[in-house]
Amino acid sequence: MIRVLRDLWLFFWRDLTIARTYRISFVLEIVEALFGTAMFYYVGRFVDSPQLRQALPQGGTYFAFSLVGFVFLDYMNASLDTFDRSLEEARNAGTLEHLLVTQTSLPVIVAGSALYPFAATTLRIAVYLAWGAILFGFPLQSANWLTVAVVLLATLLAFSGLGILSASYLLLFKRGNPAKWFMLGLSSVAGGMLFPVSILPDWLQFLARFNPVTYSLDAMRAALLAGAGFSAIWRPLAILLLFAAVLLPTAMAVFAWALRRTKITGTLTHS
Amino acid sequence: MTEPAIAVASLEKSFPPTRSGWRAFVQPFEKPTVVALSGVTFDVKEGEALALLGANGAGKSTLLRILATLLLPTRGSARIAGHDAERDPRAVRRSLGYHAGTDHGFYARLTGRENLRFFGQLNHLSSAAANLRITQLAEQFQLADILDRQTRTLSTGTIQRLSLARALLHQPRVLLLDEPTRSLDAIAAMDFRRFLKSQILRPGDTSLLFASHTLPEVELLADRIAIIDKGRLLACDTLTALKHRTGASTLEEVFLRLAGRTPYFSDEDAPA
Repeated sequence: MIRVLRDLWLFFWRDLTIARTYRISFVLEIVEALFGTAMFYYVGRFVDSPQLRQALPQGGTYFAFSLVGFVFLDYMNASLDTFDRSLEEARNAGTLEHLLVTQTSLPVIVAGSALYPFAATTLRIAVYLAWGAILFGFPLQSANWLTVAVVLLATLLAFSGLGILSASYLLLFKRGNPAKWFMLGLSSVAGGMLFPVSILPDWLQFLARFNPVTYSLDAMRAALLAGAGFSAIWRPLAILLLFAAVLLPTAMAVFAWALRRTKITGTLTHS
Repeated sequence: MTEPAIAVASLEKSFPPTRSGWRAFVQPFEKPTVVALSGVTFDVKEGEALALLGANGAGKSTLLRILATLLLPTRGSARIAGHDAERDPRAVRRSLGYHAGTDHGFYARLTGRENLRFFGQLNHLSSAAANLRITQLAEQFQLADILDRQTRTLSTGTIQRLSLARALLHQPRVLLLDEPTRSLDAIAAMDFRRFLKSQILRPGDTSLLFASHTLPEVELLADRIAIIDKGRLLACDTLTALKHRTGASTLEEVFLRLAGRTPYFSDEDAPA
């Protein structure tokens, strides 16, 4: 166990060290977050009305609702992207083969390569919310941080399964990310990102039940905007964990199978 | 009886045919029908250097990649230090160092030292042990001056030495090199061969299997030479024995006679 944690840390350290060589990019991301937050604030001001506030599940302003939706979609995006992007980068840089001939196991290589991108996305989300709170009145004071952290972890686990499935597809077929295409498409309409799922027609609401984003956003908004504890969000949290319990082992098995296929077909390093 | 460092028995490898367009989607699931290796059998003893000599596409890299656990054999077995590459890949990886001369495989924005430490620790060296090995190898490979530079700033020859240092960090019993001097100029290649001979082979505790089609390299480094053509092992013996068997006077002639080839151009075609 200690060895696994040490190996995971090595990947995190590698990516952090590389990221530190791009300092300007870090500063630019903070500025970009400011503009993004401002955009949601002014859209919120433009459309805000007492009727709209009543229609929002957790109450509050449309700015708070949409900002949480946007930043957590960023989280899903990162989860879907991280695994296949790190795989593609390793393949293009020629490091993939050298990683695979080390004594570190494949699941650790896959999980380790995702650690820094997840940490960076979490930091980016924190920056968005901080700008929102400092400049535009985002109600951070009402958040239940323990619940927020648990929902974040459950979200990460559930989405990671999808990301690893996407990386398996990339291993086999070299190009494309259908999981990302499908999930982002589905989530932008039936995930509750910018409007509540309750306004959708019945069949789209039914579809939204199979989307982990729906539960992630429900739980996250409740925890962040209404300070909900575990008793209030147990249902979406349990469903998220169920997604994770099914998706993660399935995805790891599919990835191991895809890697075995590429070792048979000799296409591991082909792009 | 001691287990050989490398034991390859009746090894076969076939690939699915290459497809393009929409058919590329079924390629990963197609039956492997393109033969790359056919019934290859040989051993490499402890401390021995064996060269794989063959033309492009002969199957040398395929063989090395199977031994490095990067490819699965279709039939037969490939063992390193007594461990089967297909059934026990982690034990195999513990015993081998792998270096391909065709790619660099380093993180361009990490320094040489950071890269070596990262890969060393992934091979389960402790931080202190990794640092100690890096210091030893840097001195041995004349890398001390460049260790703290980002690898994107290093020359190809230096990267090759750094890559070899990486392969040796965890003190493997077996070293696999795939065309190690391919991307080096003549002088750098000569330096690299001398270096390999004096620093890796002379101490005698590392077994070496390397692929090459550079004949002087093979003659300088190899105790025995395995000649491969179209996936078949034609012969595996010392240079003297191969010359004696074929009645040839040079390694080039040995290769041409065993492979049943004639050169495209003869000496008579050369301008006076």
